[in-house]
Amino acid sequence: MNEATVLFFIIIIFSILVIYWVSITVSIIYRRRRTASLTQIELTFADIVSRYLYNDPKNPLTLPEITQTLRDVGIKEQNKNNIQYLIRLMIRTQRTILGSNFYKLQKLYAQIPPHGVSIKKISSWSWYRKARGIREIYEMNQSQYFDEIFKYRNDKNIYVRREAQIALVVFLGWESLRFLPYLKRNMTLWQQIKIVEKLYDHYPKPELKWLHRAYKTEKLFGKKLLMRIIRKYELHAETDFIINNLNHPDYEVRETAIYCIQTFAVSTPTMDYIKRLYDEIPNATQQGQLLNYIYENSDIDLDFYLKQLYGTNDDLKLSVAEILWNNGYKEKVQEFYYQQYPNAVLNVG
Amino acid sequence: MWDSAEGFFGSYYIYWISVYLFIGYGASLLTLYLSGIFLARRSIKRTKQRSIFLRAEDVVSATDIPSVTVVAPAYNEGLTIIENVKSLLSIQYPYYELILVNDGSKDDSLQRLIDEFDLKRQDATFITQPIPTASVKHIYKSRKKKYTHLTVIDKNNGGKADAINAGVNFANTELVIFTDVDCIIEQDAILKMVRPYLEEDDKEIIGCGGGIGIANDSVIKNGILTELKLPSRLVPMNQVVEYIRAFLLGRMAWSEVNGLMLISGAFGMYPRKRVIEVGGFNPKTVGEDLELCIRLRKHMEEQKIPYKVVYLPETLCWTEAPSDYNILIRQRDRWARGLWETISLHRDLLFNRKYGKMGMLYYPYWLLFEFGAPIVEFLGVICLIAFGIFGWINWPFAILLSFAAYLVGCVFSTIAIFMYIKSFDHYTKPKQIIELLLAAYLEPFYYHPLLLYGQMLGYYKKIFDITSGWGTMTRKGFKVSKS
Repeated sequence: MNEATVLFFIIIIFSILVIYWVSITVSIIYRRRRTASLTQIELTFADIVSRYLYNDPKNPLTLPEITQTLRDVGIKEQNKNNIQYLIRLMIRTQRTILGSNFYKLQKLYAQIPPHGVSIKKISSWSWYRKARGIREIYEMNQSQYFDEIFKYRNDKNIYVRREAQIALVVFLGWESLRFLPYLKRNMTLWQQIKIVEKLYDHYPKPELKWLHRAYKTEKLFGKKLLMRIIRKYELHAETDFIINNLNHPDYEVRETAIYCIQTFAVSTPTMDYIKRLYDEIPNATQQGQLLNYIYENSDIDLDFYLKQLYGTNDDLKLSVAEILWNNGYKEKVQEFYYQQYPNAVLNVG
Repeated sequence: MWDSAEGFFGSYYIYWISVYLFIGYGASLLTLYLSGIFLARRSIKRTKQRSIFLRAEDVVSATDIPSVTVVAPAYNEGLTIIENVKSLLSIQYPYYELILVNDGSKDDSLQRLIDEFDLKRQDATFITQPIPTASVKHIYKSRKKKYTHLTVIDKNNGGKADAINAGVNFANTELVIFTDVDCIIEQDAILKMVRPYLEEDDKEIIGCGGGIGIANDSVIKNGILTELKLPSRLVPMNQVVEYIRAFLLGRMAWSEVNGLMLISGAFGMYPRKRVIEVGGFNPKTVGEDLELCIRLRKHMEEQKIPYKVVYLPETLCWTEAPSDYNILIRQRDRWARGLWETISLHRDLLFNRKYGKMGMLYYPYWLLFEFGAPIVEFLGVICLIAFGIFGWINWPFAILLSFAAYLVGCVFSTIAIFMYIKSFDHYTKPKQIIELLLAAYLEPFYYHPLLLYGQMLGYYKKIFDITSGWGTMTRKGFKVSKS
């Protein structure tokens, strides 16, 4: 290495630095112009939507007029970013309106420049464009494309299949649960939550026949999803499904079952059954969670609690001692304590 | 001048071995940083793309999202504690608890809290403490309905790590967030932080961090950052650049390869279960955040459970940076000691195949380039002086090489600033960007030597076993707008 080499290196580094200075400048200018352009599109769109939804019979807003106005603010086929922004605006607006205007906006979506853009994205090789296309289609309720979306429900890309599964829920509602046993890939907690929320938003009235058919699923994520649905809709008559999973061999299924059952109060015989299941749960933390539920939802069953007090897990014993202590059985706790530590003085309270 | 290198036996070899060692070290670091840029770019792009399908508003009304406890330790924070707690209480998340741990404050922090939030002492007889801590005196809950999610633990002083452990003991949620009581947390930060936990499929998330920004001289209203300004003083301004570089390039790059060994103690989320399994923070080190993250990773490797440590590029937490040289040096001295202690505690990781990539790559990186960098730099200065005295240095060449190294540093800072302004809209005005760039370019002349001094001071204290704890971190406080 000599001075000439270092000098050459400096020139290269300095050139890179200059390139980044230029990039920063361009970025600042672009951001300013883009912000102004987006504001203009947003204002124009707001004006069009308000006039379209509440059309003045004397001065009706026609489709060619809408298309032309949008073109004037840059909504052209070659300007994909602007079209994408318009789609975002439509989805955002559609989420905030109800009734006939909701359907009018969906009709408008199918007729103005973004028309066909979302479905074209589905055939893209990029997972990102594909998933985005599916999302736009179900958000704007374009059910005519259902068949094209359906085939992606088991796609290898997690985002594509997630969006396709949500589209199934949006388009088919409760009936979509019949596909649950046939889904091949795991479903994350996020996806389960989103499906439950979409189902609840679009189909607030439960259709139990589809739920019952889905009970036969052996898929662990399917069981968890069904328990979450029962919880969300507060389906008291369906709690048996949750209870039967309290002692499931899989940790996460049990976790979901314990979490979901906490929404429900159950009858005394059912609670007795839950107490029997309690001993079959192989994890002390989960037993502790279920113990809280049993305590908060039933009368004190001294035999049950004493059995736990003389059990093996220290944390559980402490929880049981607290329950007994606060519910008029101090002497039982003292008796237990003196058995453990015959020479000690109990210093509690 | 050059001929005098032949002055004594072996001097020729000493000189050239030193030169090649320093050049080799610099070149390795340069390669790593370059790879870091590419990885960070990919990671940021991917995070942005994914976030379109993981919008917080899609699940904000869900009842199935995990519950979260924010644990904030406080020691002698009486002057600002009410404002700070109100700020933390204003975070938007449906299942959220705040545990404030008063770590034996000598001022009137506790009384102020009792008065403001109408705190009532609770019965704590049967509460378990899976992690041993200094004794807890009392637990308080607010009687006011709007503050039912606030718990205050009053305990004897045991240090920051001990106070956080007490908070973990009393939390009863799935996830816990550790933060400093004077941090300003973005309103939707928790919703964003739980996202990786909800969406992960085959690997367990054992830690999640978010970007941390500097908010000196910014305006805070009702506990929310309303106007972000660049600090007016140079020291905090340089830390803005340093944080951008560290969080946007460094942490995002390591996150991309699941190599993150550190989640900042100012804002990090963990599953409570795992924190308890490893025994919580280690109160014997002042680098408790780094140490916990490494211990958690080791634990998962030993259990052979697939895991991930993730970072979110967005700035979710704002903090006040040291505003003068003395406080900055004290902070870096403490960080250096924490690093020394952690590296030493986990030396069994070095090239240990049992711990996979962590043993073979990540730990050696930390040892060589995070722990080793100040030492190499310090030795470089000594060699420069010594070789200069012996007359072995070709000064024109050395100056050119230094200038090249300086320019390389400028390029990395410029790239970090460019990526930041492209991804986020915190600093958009040309004046702010120019100021950031200037601060970055001036950094090697006045800021970096201070960091080196602070780090070497920390190492010196460790070598000579000079006892030094956390030290006092005097803060000016944010500008609070009451209007």
